[in-house]
Amino acid sequence: MTFQQIDLVFIFAELVDKCIGSRIHIVMKTDKEIVGTLLGFDDFVNMVLEDVTEFEITPEGRRITKLDQILLNGNNITMLIPGGEGPEV
Amino acid sequence: MKNGYSNDKEKKKKESIFDLSKYIDKTIRVKFQGGREASGVLKGFDPLLNLVLDGTIEYMRDPDDQLKLTEDTRQLGLVVCRGTSVVLICPQDGMEAIPNPFIQQQDG
Repeated sequence: MTFQQIDLVFIFAELVDKCIGSRIHIVMKTDKEIVGTLLGFDDFVNMVLEDVTEFEITPEGRRITKLDQILLNGNNITMLIPGGEGPEV
Repeated sequence: MKNGYSNDKEKKKKESIFDLSKYIDKTIRVKFQGGREASGVLKGFDPLLNLVLDGTIEYMRDPDDQLKLTEDTRQLGLVVCRGTSVVLICPQDGMEAIPNPFIQQQDG
């Protein structure tokens, strides 16, 4: 591994780590998106979020607004957008 | 036997069969499981194929959309893509849409 590659290895964890405490927008493999405040994550990128809003893209509407905390299964996460506010509806 | 196995494991480091560092700062297109597509400038990656893209544009597929990408695009900015759901990575320059080459003419 070159020195440059070793730097890049940590870029993912770093970026998500910077997000802790701020809003993050999570896009799933399906047409579902989640916006919430990131409290933490683990090696599998399961995420703990707070003040969560869930969006379904196809029916064009906001679905459920959940408070407290959720544990989001990392299995279906496709994209993470720091500071994202979710789809415009 | 056990010693042999652990030696093997040590030698078998996680080497990528493909070097993404040549795509750094270039625009790439990424396709995901579930039909999503996105393109953006590659800023970083790791051996698990998690990607960091900047200036990301996401293309969504609708039932009528098929491969017409201009339908639903949105700007996402700086995005982290999960390696577990990436299925294809290619340079944005290296691809173009072509008419379906597999359609056969039906003779009466």
